[in-house]
Amino acid sequence: MSTHPSPVDALLREGVSRRNFLKGLLASGAVASFPGGALAAEPYVDTKIPFTGKKSYTTFRNACPRNCYDTCSIKTFVKDGVIQFIEGAKESTFTNGGTCVKGNSYVRRVYSPDRIKYPMMQVGGKGSGTWKRISWDEAMDTIAKKLLAIKKEDGHLLGAALTKYSGNFGITHYGVEGMFSSIGYTTRFAGTPCWPAGIDAQNLDMGAMWCNDPEEMKDSKYIILWGANPAANSVHSMKYIFEAKKKGAKVVVIDPVFTEAASKASEWIQVKVGSDGLLALGMAKIIIDANMHDKEWLAKNTKGYKEFKAYLDTINLRDVAETSGLSLELISQIALEFAKADPATIWSGYGLQRHTNGGSMIRAIDALVAITGNIGKYAGGSRYGHLDTWGFNYHAMSMEKPAGSVGYVGGKRMGEFGHGAAGEEKPDYDDRYLNINKTAREILNSDPKVRLLWVACKNTFAQDFDRNLLIEAFKSLEMVVVVDEFFNETTKWADIVLPVTTQFEEYDVNVSYWHYWLSINEQAIKPLHEAKNDLEIAALLSKKLNALEKGSCTFPEYVDTKQWTAKEFNAGIYEKFGISSWEELKNGPVKAKPVIPYADGKFFTPSGKYEFYSETSKEYGWKALPEYVEVRKPYDKFRLTTPHSRFSLHSQFQNLDWMEEFNAEPFVYINTKDATDKRVETGDIVAVFSKVGLLRVKAKVTDNVPSGTVMMYEQWFNNNIYNVNELVDDTSSDMGAFKTGAPGVALHDAYVNFRKI
Amino acid sequence: MQKAFLVDSSICLGCNTCAMACKNQYHQDNGIAWRKVREIGGETYREDQNNFLPTVTWYAKAPQAQMPEERYYFSLACNHCENPACVEVCPAGAQTKDPITGIVKHDQELCIGCKGCVLACPFGASKYNERLGKSEKCSMCWERQDEGLLPACVQSCPTGSIALIDIHDPAYANAGTTDPLGIDYAIGSSTKPSTRFVHPSLPAKMHRL
Ligand code: SF4
Ligand code: SF4
Ligand code: SF4
Ligand code: SF4
Repeated sequence: MSTHPSPVDALLREGVSRRNFLKGLLASGAVASFPGGALAAEPYVDTKIPFTGKKSYTTFRNACPRNCYDTCSIKTFVKDGVIQFIEGAKESTFTNGGTCVKGNSYVRRVYSPDRIKYPMMQVGGKGSGTWKRISWDEAMDTIAKKLLAIKKEDGHLLGAALTKYSGNFGITHYGVEGMFSSIGYTTRFAGTPCWPAGIDAQNLDMGAMWCNDPEEMKDSKYIILWGANPAANSVHSMKYIFEAKKKGAKVVVIDPVFTEAASKASEWIQVKVGSDGLLALGMAKIIIDANMHDKEWLAKNTKGYKEFKAYLDTINLRDVAETSGLSLELISQIALEFAKADPATIWSGYGLQRHTNGGSMIRAIDALVAITGNIGKYAGGSRYGHLDTWGFNYHAMSMEKPAGSVGYVGGKRMGEFGHGAAGEEKPDYDDRYLNINKTAREILNSDPKVRLLWVACKNTFAQDFDRNLLIEAFKSLEMVVVVDEFFNETTKWADIVLPVTTQFEEYDVNVSYWHYWLSINEQAIKPLHEAKNDLEIAALLSKKLNALEKGSCTFPEYVDTKQWTAKEFNAGIYEKFGISSWEELKNGPVKAKPVIPYADGKFFTPSGKYEFYSETSKEYGWKALPEYVEVRKPYDKFRLTTPHSRFSLHSQFQNLDWMEEFNAEPFVYINTKDATDKRVETGDIVAVFSKVGLLRVKAKVTDNVPSGTVMMYEQWFNNNIYNVNELVDDTSSDMGAFKTGAPGVALHDAYVNFRKI
Repeated sequence: MQKAFLVDSSICLGCNTCAMACKNQYHQDNGIAWRKVREIGGETYREDQNNFLPTVTWYAKAPQAQMPEERYYFSLACNHCENPACVEVCPAGAQTKDPITGIVKHDQELCIGCKGCVLACPFGASKYNERLGKSEKCSMCWERQDEGLLPACVQSCPTGSIALIDIHDPAYANAGTTDPLGIDYAIGSSTKPSTRFVHPSLPAKMHRL
């Protein structure tokens, strides 16, 4: 049951900024007595250093693992054991010598005085703010005893749950899942808040999510950025788009928002939100009617084209124009230009599928690319993402269950990024999977009850939905363990927090879901404070568990991240990347051998062909064809759209003082007309409220967003009460259950209202 | 030779990578950034506290009636002027103009913190650091350049919208203009700032609902 809505006053009263939160902690004796001031906001050490010549530094290879298209290859410059600065690796043509604004702040992240330094226990109870420093041994003892108690009392470990997502996509970080496998059958939060509807769509159409090398875009003749804003979220892709444009290609941005990418395009088309699927179908119809479709390719490589064509015949183009808000003339122009250009490509952004009809929209766009014969073509393709270079051993996650483990019957293993890979036995029992996008609800309704929750590689309160319900859920748990680099909203509701290393303090390996480069993370510096990496934490826990009860954990009791990184490689990876040993990566990142997805006409669908008509889709209760599905009906005055900011990756980076220098505070962006109606001016503080929450935020009046829509970036601020997910309910998008185990969230189908306060 | 930054607003994303790359290299104190990414035309949240540049908006000069907010930018640091006011006023010889490269270098060892350069620079490029009691500014990463490396900002820009040119080299004679739309550079024209600008443009077609 939900505790909302919360009235304005209560919320404003409740808002405790992080600095105040720390002050509150300092006031309590427990904290004031810490040696070294574990939580005190110390001033930064003076790290200003003159550049002393490249030769005076020891250099290391690193990569940015933070869930970003670009997954930059980094070169790290170290002197006297301290990271002095980083650069983008020049060896990677994609990274091309520079990271983004976030990557350039890494030094500050590593040496931030706000890093969690020691294991800590919230002795006053969750949310109390009264913390005590404990030793690693004490922390492990407390957690291990709780796990063993749960097993003894319940007869199984399904009461122990893991929620982990994209704070670190390094391959060895799947060791966290491995740790949970190593204690028995447990509960996992499955799915992804991010991109599942689109993953399913592409899998239905092509049997995989596999996109062309983004570097090829430089040779595309026509590029549609459909709901994608690489100028903010994949800055390294822009150089290829600019290069194509310079060579005469047309770059069209279809987006309801005048984005940074739209401002640099040849043509920007503002479309009504949620109508993109119908627009793509309309374009397909126009192309086919003009007899400009690729008949030969369609005949050879597809299934269900006839049915698709018959469905298109039922579409009225006037409806398309009306629903999308575009003139028929414009739609025809873009459609025919796209069909004529060779090669032409579409990049669908992840925002596009964060709707209740999101999966169907991606399927419609795939179909549009398919009928023009641009799939399987160099510099063509329906681009969304790929996992083609993720063929690691997932050794870190492949632990066996201890003998005699009891689990859940009838579960179904799901996952992206190779979850459920090697070594996972499938006996009568299975782990229990709960929907990550309904975390609060799932915890509260769980049976058997979730009693212990382990949070790794994510800031649940910044990422998951319906905050008020989440607080209730966390309070209902007997023990919450949070492994993180920084104190945040989630640690606030934890019992135990454990300090984790950054990628500069451990070995790891990284690939991208966008480009085709492979990089390693070398350990460039010793772990700071008492930080340990996720694998070492798992090993410590294993040691403690086995000391308390022999045979209760199969995770190794000692882990060397370098050796474990080496264990992730196999012949397939070496072959794909043209290297003979992972050690070669110390010389710089390497790129996978060029491959054009589906160039051989082989698809991974049941029929082996591109499927306009998908039986699988039908089995899941969706339409077999990429038909138009209406978007969620409004339940309040304004649509809320929450794209990603260029200054942060979800809740990461914005907490650093260097970032605050360039992006000091959050805003709500309101269209000029709506602002006039509501008498709001730029700089005014407005309350934005929905059926699930309320936020107080400064307004910016702009025509970059359409009337009827307000925009707020998905971000988390250290010193500001701002979490846009407080306004978003957890309504699912259409697809996602097929490949990632749970549907996505219709993030951009949230509705709000606002007023000046 | 006069080395200079060529700032191309037509492909600048406003991503702030350049400004952060400078911080990454020099670890400037909080509140101080030698390089900043400035918005063109948007009056909404221009930062004036650093007195960086006089705020004349682009509207008056812009070919389009209005430039959308937060979409067009230029990245600015010290202009490495041909007649640098900072060098002229500095009593300690901490600001010098390199006779070969034209780079205006600031030497913090020699700086006595008199704020002369901070007051003299028409562009607010020289900053005063309260903690150190000295001034500081961009010296075009001359130490990197001496090693054959690009300045940190130039190397890290993902689109190449900051480049390094020599404005005395005829090959660059037409590489941008001295007129950054939106800012009255005339105010500092006596110092002859070396930065060159390429103007932004809106998409050829924009279809609004
Ligand atoms: S956030 Fe993305 S673009 Fe920035 S450094 Fe990391 S991978 Fe590169
Ligand atoms: S100059 Fe380059 S790095 Fe700086 S904001 Fe513009 S695009 Fe980004
Ligand atoms: S911009 Fe200012 S600080 Fe830089 S050279 Fe010119 S006068 Fe000196
Ligand atoms: S040249 Fe060097 S000092 Fe100047 S702005 Fe660029 S990075 Fe900073």
